[in-house]
Amino acid sequence: MGFADSFRQNFIEDDRWKYLADGLKTTLIITLFAVLLGLVLGFLVAIIRSTYLRTKKLLIPDILCRIYLTVIRGTPVVVQLLIIYFVIFASVPISKTLVAIIAFGVNSGAYVAEIVRGGIMAIDAGQLEAGRSLGLNYRQTMTSIILPQAFKNVLPALANECIVLLKETSVAGYIAIADLTKGGDIIRSQTFSAFLPLLAVAVIYLVMVMLLTHLVSRLERRLALNDRR
Amino acid sequence: MIDVKNLEKTFGDVPVLKGISEHIEKGEKVVIVGPSGSGKSTFLRCLNLMETPTSGHIFFEGTEITRLPDREINKLRQRMGMVFQHFNLFPHLTIRKNITLAPVKLKLMTQAEADKKATELLERVGLPDKAEHYPAQLSGGQKQRIAIARALAMNPEVMLFDEPTSALDPEMVGEVLALMKQLAEDGMTMVVVTHEMGFAREVASRVLFMAEGTVMEQNTPAEFFANPQTPRLKDFLSKVLS
Repeated sequence: MGFADSFRQNFIEDDRWKYLADGLKTTLIITLFAVLLGLVLGFLVAIIRSTYLRTKKLLIPDILCRIYLTVIRGTPVVVQLLIIYFVIFASVPISKTLVAIIAFGVNSGAYVAEIVRGGIMAIDAGQLEAGRSLGLNYRQTMTSIILPQAFKNVLPALANECIVLLKETSVAGYIAIADLTKGGDIIRSQTFSAFLPLLAVAVIYLVMVMLLTHLVSRLERRLALNDRR
Repeated sequence: MIDVKNLEKTFGDVPVLKGISEHIEKGEKVVIVGPSGSGKSTFLRCLNLMETPTSGHIFFEGTEITRLPDREINKLRQRMGMVFQHFNLFPHLTIRKNITLAPVKLKLMTQAEADKKATELLERVGLPDKAEHYPAQLSGGQKQRIAIARALAMNPEVMLFDEPTSALDPEMVGEVLALMKQLAEDGMTMVVVTHEMGFAREVASRVLFMAEGTVMEQNTPAEFFANPQTPRLKDFLSKVLS
């Protein structure tokens, strides 16, 4: 069978390309909302942890954060996904996509937290002192002085985390979500040809990652204008 | 204006301040000198509670500040400007924003009022054309003058200087000291930790010599340099004035 025939069989016949298109849509939805959830959780945990480390306040929240980090980073994301779907939400009628968003978001939050905490701790202690010496409180100093600088410094690492997350969602098929990877796999199981469907899936992921990388480097350049050295 | 009674500070097991009692009058320019590790900076940083004293009392305008709640400490710091050895300008903000951030955030001025104030202050510190620059584009001396302007934007009643010229290249020390001298002549109450003996001699109303966590000796600048009493000060002066 020639390439053209194979292409037709895998993507055109029975509108099989729709498995990829719908799958891509699902993958993007899961990734987008999981990234947002991860950022919110990650910043929250990072702020609690760095506040504890700098000021010794918030001991109890800090302990909870450390447990969260240890558990999430110490277990595979697939296992977390399965536990959240089959154990935590076992008896709750809830959309699988939402379960995936929660699972990947909670997972990503742990990594974001450590990235952001590193960024906060890397800001010179003199910045906090300067803010406090002017009469700003801890929170005002964090939001207008420390976090903007920390965010800029960790942007490349955060972008990397987004890229990792995008690819990690490919295990969503474990709870029977028809994401991009699953879409390719469905085509394979119908046509019994593996090469083209899986190649297509890989190319789509690759293009998305390259696009993300490009966007982030543009954003980085714009932020860098602020401190020409 | 500032009253310190039996102030002690320990870091872990190490005593850094061993019972300091001192009184600073409004309008005074107190210069603190001494060998490194003598507790000069720690003493200064206790005055606006950047360090929490281990024991003792500090009064500011008659009010004890040593055990204030956080909110009151923030209020207090608005009345005491501080200038750091390493400037600590905010690198992500323009010079104008560096100066206006605190008064605007604390709702003491509108952005327009603060901008006007910043323009005046930049004029005063001799850098009127730097408002839209970023700190990284300035020299060390310029950065420190901006840091002084930033502190002045809060209209403080007293200015605390923590070795303001120690991180500067030698040729930039002069411009910062000149600005501080001008500030002194305008009547600002100042507490200055420094190694610049020339500044102490010329500007101070009183010079304190700190060693081993105590104020070992103090005098008017003329007497301080001409007639040191303790062997420790004689030794120190012979080293720094040679």
